[in-house]
Amino acid sequence: MSSGHVTKRAKYKTSVKDPGTSGALRLNEQKLMFMPDNRNSSTKLAVEFKSIQGHKYTKEGSKKPPLINLSNAQGGSYIFEFDNYSDLHVCRDFVSKVLEKSKDTSSVASEKTVVTLPDEQLSAAEMQLRIKLLQEDCELQKLHQQFVGGNILTEAEFWAARKKLLDNDSSRKSNQRVGFKSAMISDIRPLTDGRTNKVTFSLTPEIILQIFAEKPAVHRAFLNLVPKKMTEMEFWTKYCRAEYLNRTKNVHTAAAEAAEDEELALFLKEDDILATEVRKKIRRVDPTLDMEADEGDDYMHLPDHGIFRDGSKELNESQHDIYRRTLLQDLNRHAAVVLEGRTVDVEMEDNTRAVAEALARSKQGKEGADGYENEERLDRVSRSTTLEDLQPPHSLPLAPLSIKDARDYFDSQQGNTLKTFRDPSGKMESLGSLSTQEAYGSMRDAISEMKSMGVSDPIINPEVALKVFNGLTHSISSIKYNHGKNPRESVLDRLPTVTKEKLLQHWTCIQELLKHFWSSYPITTPYLYAKVSRLKDAMSNIYRQLEEMKASLQSDLRHQVSLLVRPMQRALDAAIQHHDADLQKRSAKSSEEIPNGYV
Amino acid sequence: MASAPSKLYSGLSLALSTIFFFFKVVEGLDSVIADDVSLVVVLLDTNPFFWTTSSFPFSHFLSHVLAFLNAILTLNQLNQVVIIATGCNSCDYVYDSSKTANQSFGNGRMPTLCATLLQNLEEFMTKDEKLGIEEAEERITGSLLSGSLSMALCYIQRVFRSGSLHPQPRILCLQGSPDGPEQYVAIMNAIFSAQRSMVPIDSCYIGVQNSAFLQQASYITGGVHHKPQQLDGLFQYLLTIFATDLHSRSFLQLPKPVGVDFRASCFCHKNTIDMGYICSVCLSIFCTRHKKCSTCGSTFGQAQSDDASATNRKRKAPDS
Amino acid sequence: MPQVKIIAKNFMDMVASLTARDLDNLYQNPFICEAILRSLPPLAKKYVLQMLYIEGSVLAKSMEEWVLADGFTKHRVAIDRLVQLRIFSEEKKKETSYRLNPTFQTNLQKHLIYGGALPREPMPSNVTVRLPTLEELEAYALGQWECFLLQLISSAQAEKPTNFSSSMMKVFQRGLLIQRDKESPRLSESGFQFLLMDTSAQLWYIIREYISNSQERGVNQADLISFLLELSFHVAGEAYNVNTLSELQKNMIKDFADLGLVKLQQGRKDSWFIPTKLATSLSISLTDSSSRKEGFVVVETNFRIYAYSTSKLHCEILRLFSRIEYQLPNLIVGAITKESLYNAFDNGITADQIIAFLQQNAHPRVAERVPSVPENVCDQIRLWESDLNRVEATPAYFYDEFPSRDVFEAACDYARDRSGLLWEDSKKMRLAVKAETHTHMREFLRGQS
Repeated sequence: MSSGHVTKRAKYKTSVKDPGTSGALRLNEQKLMFMPDNRNSSTKLAVEFKSIQGHKYTKEGSKKPPLINLSNAQGGSYIFEFDNYSDLHVCRDFVSKVLEKSKDTSSVASEKTVVTLPDEQLSAAEMQLRIKLLQEDCELQKLHQQFVGGNILTEAEFWAARKKLLDNDSSRKSNQRVGFKSAMISDIRPLTDGRTNKVTFSLTPEIILQIFAEKPAVHRAFLNLVPKKMTEMEFWTKYCRAEYLNRTKNVHTAAAEAAEDEELALFLKEDDILATEVRKKIRRVDPTLDMEADEGDDYMHLPDHGIFRDGSKELNESQHDIYRRTLLQDLNRHAAVVLEGRTVDVEMEDNTRAVAEALARSKQGKEGADGYENEERLDRVSRSTTLEDLQPPHSLPLAPLSIKDARDYFDSQQGNTLKTFRDPSGKMESLGSLSTQEAYGSMRDAISEMKSMGVSDPIINPEVALKVFNGLTHSISSIKYNHGKNPRESVLDRLPTVTKEKLLQHWTCIQELLKHFWSSYPITTPYLYAKVSRLKDAMSNIYRQLEEMKASLQSDLRHQVSLLVRPMQRALDAAIQHHDADLQKRSAKSSEEIPNGYV
Repeated sequence: MASAPSKLYSGLSLALSTIFFFFKVVEGLDSVIADDVSLVVVLLDTNPFFWTTSSFPFSHFLSHVLAFLNAILTLNQLNQVVIIATGCNSCDYVYDSSKTANQSFGNGRMPTLCATLLQNLEEFMTKDEKLGIEEAEERITGSLLSGSLSMALCYIQRVFRSGSLHPQPRILCLQGSPDGPEQYVAIMNAIFSAQRSMVPIDSCYIGVQNSAFLQQASYITGGVHHKPQQLDGLFQYLLTIFATDLHSRSFLQLPKPVGVDFRASCFCHKNTIDMGYICSVCLSIFCTRHKKCSTCGSTFGQAQSDDASATNRKRKAPDS
Repeated sequence: MPQVKIIAKNFMDMVASLTARDLDNLYQNPFICEAILRSLPPLAKKYVLQMLYIEGSVLAKSMEEWVLADGFTKHRVAIDRLVQLRIFSEEKKKETSYRLNPTFQTNLQKHLIYGGALPREPMPSNVTVRLPTLEELEAYALGQWECFLLQLISSAQAEKPTNFSSSMMKVFQRGLLIQRDKESPRLSESGFQFLLMDTSAQLWYIIREYISNSQERGVNQADLISFLLELSFHVAGEAYNVNTLSELQKNMIKDFADLGLVKLQQGRKDSWFIPTKLATSLSISLTDSSSRKEGFVVVETNFRIYAYSTSKLHCEILRLFSRIEYQLPNLIVGAITKESLYNAFDNGITADQIIAFLQQNAHPRVAERVPSVPENVCDQIRLWESDLNRVEATPAYFYDEFPSRDVFEAACDYARDRSGLLWEDSKKMRLAVKAETHTHMREFLRGQS
């Protein structure tokens, strides 16, 4: 059977109802082939197992004919009807074996495809998100059009640099976690089959987690007892027994059984962990809270609609008090747990033990936070005991650090290039000629001179004062002239709108290209190599466009624009230079070593 | 941009472009108080190595500054002036007008402000020199601007916390020494905390080159930066520009530098750089290639051979 | 003599109203220059500073260059003030330009370089035995001031009478109190406004009255002003020998002591005066919100007033429009009632004044809230006021028994033309006209008949 191929007679059907074409089905490890008896028939088949995703078959003993249904990834299926069940079984086993193997290889293969071909498959939601982002941001759209549309960047590359944008939206959706059900555990009714006295409780991991969360004592008992003293099965049987006793309100039986079995007693007793927690909670209540005001609100006599357990039937015998839990306690505890939210993911933890441990961990974490909470409480108490009406506010005003308008950058660039023209680096004159002592000495001399002479009178010459004032006034008016009425306006606003927009657009383009360019170094794959050369071409293209733009402007504007363009060009220069140097090195290396030296 | 650790291999050659954030000037200062009461903390550059080489004598400088401070105190009875000396080896408070009553009067020869200040300044110089001798091996010629900035901010914080009424504090740096790139990180931190507590830093640079640090400080905190062209008219510059209280600034146009020098200093050699490498995890700046980030310890994988590094730099550009 | 206006808040207004010659004389005194500088609007201060060393005149245009669009009104106010005080002199040749008053300029320059010197030194501490601490001094000053105010508004209430002669007191009370025949004098509308002002504004009002009255007593106004300003540059809490004063000043200092500006003490040999905060803050411009007192009143939505104050004066003020229920050592509890408000309205106090008082003196904690006085309280106060105004009384003359309808209608038209017609009943031929049109009406009717 484990031989390389199987051939059986079968009928090929496109659907179950189809009468089918009879022929020979041949299976080998790569593909399945169907040769119809009628050589002229068009229903010849040759399907690779890679494309087959699953298989179904009819069970022996059912009234249906022996069918096998192979479904492919596109949702279509190939149905074959065999002559008898034994043929079906042989084929079925072979198919399942081959599929298992191919699944392993195909997953490897698909990983490979991601590496070599980063054109990922997108879900409709992701696609929509991208479209939405593009629609909202016209600048982004422009970039997308220019680079992805112009085949400089692939779709995936473009978005890879903007993971944050994509994440933001998707994370919002997935962040909501499922909480506990609001149904109470006691609502899970045991199943009784009318005939015997057997009572069946069904426990799912979900329910178990809920039990642990609501009944810390059970949780503790589980951690202590299982698997050292009893198996998990025994544990839950005991628990269910206790629950059953509770449910039937059989206080006497409960007391009697508890006396015999200490583990069972654990479940029947009042939960001591809960009790201490409740006591703690009461201590935490804000002392300024007026509890007496609520005293008149009586919830005791409200009929408990829809709640499974009927409080009024509960017996009132004080001696067995500890074996009874009141509805109110259960309700409160349940409410608290539901509100606290889920701290452990059930899906992740199939194993009950793991669930129990995870819960214990998350509780420990909370304990740590308790100390802090206490401090906070003290703080609140001290605050509320003084009359808050007459206290000054507690905190000082703080300004948020915020990102400035990036366009100021242009101002600075212009300033910098101007500066490099003006002062060709006037380093501080050599200090070597003076010793430290002399330097300090001359300072002290100056101070003592001041001490004896006082402030020089007049401090400044009236002519100098006037000159300085006029100079400043002049520079102020030139600022006003340059910037128009609004002092917040930048250098850019002086340019005609068309030029300004073009400049800004080039700037964002260059940013985008450089980002991609530098992030693809070091070049390790032919894919990156191709990407870099594509980018390089695009960059030299923009470089040329910048030059053209400069040339097309009038002389007075040209100077200003060239000041702005210079840093952009320098950045591009650096990138192109790097690219060329890298290329040279690579070619030198590859001549020494193996050609096509990428791994 | 590849800021996730998984993309670290490309971190080293990343553009500097990410690091430069621009911080907004806090507006609406006048909404807090509509008054012209001001608290001016003046940072006085007392670096002897600068002053002995400067064409503008220290005694003239003092004359101008003292008269200016006296003018500030004259403007409003509630105005307050604190002077911090920025030396080579130490910084110290040399004058606080809240500690001496009726500052603008004196013995008729000079205001009390001058007398007290000169006395304290002389003591400070002696102390500063002694400190310099103790650690004589390395001769630092810059002045400790980061130290005096921090002291000024601490003082202002104390004032903020002590009373319910907010004086309108501002810091005025009178600096002549060139930037000490080794103080870059400390100065930037001081600048950002000033920005956060809404304290503008004015700066008047009287040295030869312009100071990138002071330009950035004034730009980020919304203060005024000016480099006087004519030093013998310093007093006029001070009165016309820097005496303007914060309240009036919302009505006046004050000089604005043509462009701010945004260059940063690298963390490794403290050089002022134009292009460099930044860590993609913590945004530390380096002038040369490193295997590991000295600030956050991230390792940068797969460095290329060193000869490429010279061409591998890229001009930093702001992130949009 | 300038018209006494209750809104005049500081000495700026007073100085500005002096004659040109007096002003120029005033600037001879460096203290006055400094005091004037301090009281200028912030922009004006800056203009003075930047002109300090410029000898020529500066074009108005070049000063305007510095002003941003939304600061232009402030700029105008500052320039107007400077010109008004003759600190700037306007020169109009081709273009308007300003130059700084040379006397003012030199005085300020000298002040910056040499510092000012007071005409007297504080006395050494071995002569003055025990000086009051600053807190004690402040308490003393406020005590004196309140005592004076109490005496001012109701002479009977004051615990210890001041040295002011009753004629002097009358001068102060002029405009603040009205005396209807045979009743005891009551607070007038402006009197209430006066009480609502903060201490330094009140002080300036009184000092203003004092100064304007000085000429009647043969004292030069300028001398008085310069002495007051000089006083404001003394150090609060230090003792100064009385012998350093001129005879005239010695007389004045006694009056100042009554106002709480100085405290007089007598040693074994010498006597000395100690300036208080009230004196040293005289030259602070009142635009400073920081010099404003902290409020003390909390108004609740149930019309209850809690005033955290120990002052008897505050209690008296509150009593003007509310029913004081009880008084604890540091707390006055009252309630605003219809009756108490009617009482206030009766005295000529308006609802707006009351509300403004409550708002201005709101306790710091409630002052932060908007509104600081509950809306329902404000509305109710206004409603009660408008309740009183439902019926308007106008003196009128009533005419009837007209001889003919023509005469009646002609009379109606005549009265209507002069907008004096209040009411007419054409059926019974009767009409009522305003009292002031009565004489014209009579003439007109005489002509008709």
